Amino acid sequence: MKKNSILNVPLLSPGWKKLAYVFFFLPVILIIGLALASPSMDPNSAGEIFYGFWAIGFGILNLTREKVEDEMIRSFRQQAFQTGFFWMIWGLGALMLVNYLIYDRVTTEIFTAYLVLFLLNGYIYGAFQYQKFMVGKEDS
Amino acid sequence: MKNTIKVERAKKDLTQQDLAEKVQVSRQTINSIEAGKYVPSTVLALKIARVFGVGLEEVFSLEESD
Repeated sequence: MKKNSILNVPLLSPGWKKLAYVFFFLPVILIIGLALASPSMDPNSAGEIFYGFWAIGFGILNLTREKVEDEMIRSFRQQAFQTGFFWMIWGLGALMLVNYLIYDRVTTEIFTAYLVLFLLNGYIYGAFQYQKFMVGKEDS
Repeated sequence: MKNTIKVERAKKDLTQQDLAEKVQVSRQTINSIEAGKYVPSTVLALKIARVFGVGLEEVFSLEESD
């Protein structure tokens, strides 16, 4: 059965995983460099750099093809995106509730686009790896 | 959904890897289907039945809970 091409998500080749791992280590070097160059740097900026780079790293991993990209892996991937979004919504809801109970307001400076993207991509990655782990566990 | 893939494989003397290659999926996918952990698509179920040379309902059947 042919799929509607507008809904098709082209996946990256497995080699892109190496670039994703670079994005996990790059902010460490960057932050050390920035701290040495500008010791008065805002600590929140460091957090944003970490969240941004890790979000990109997880994003690349989530959109990279497995060695055998068959229908089970595709169904795991779809489930992972759904579960990741679900976890993110409830996680953010929990953070807002805690913030409300402590500071009497639901909004806070920690809710940035970088943080939300990092959490979303991290949860998706976690949900995908968990499904693969469960299959591997039952296999052995 | 239950299946008789293991039995059919034994009849044809096929390993999970052999079957996986014939239907172009990973061995883990065949293992998960055999164990009832993953329900294959209609296309994959038909491919598996074709490898064994039997009808779809001889390989896959519904359970009470389905």
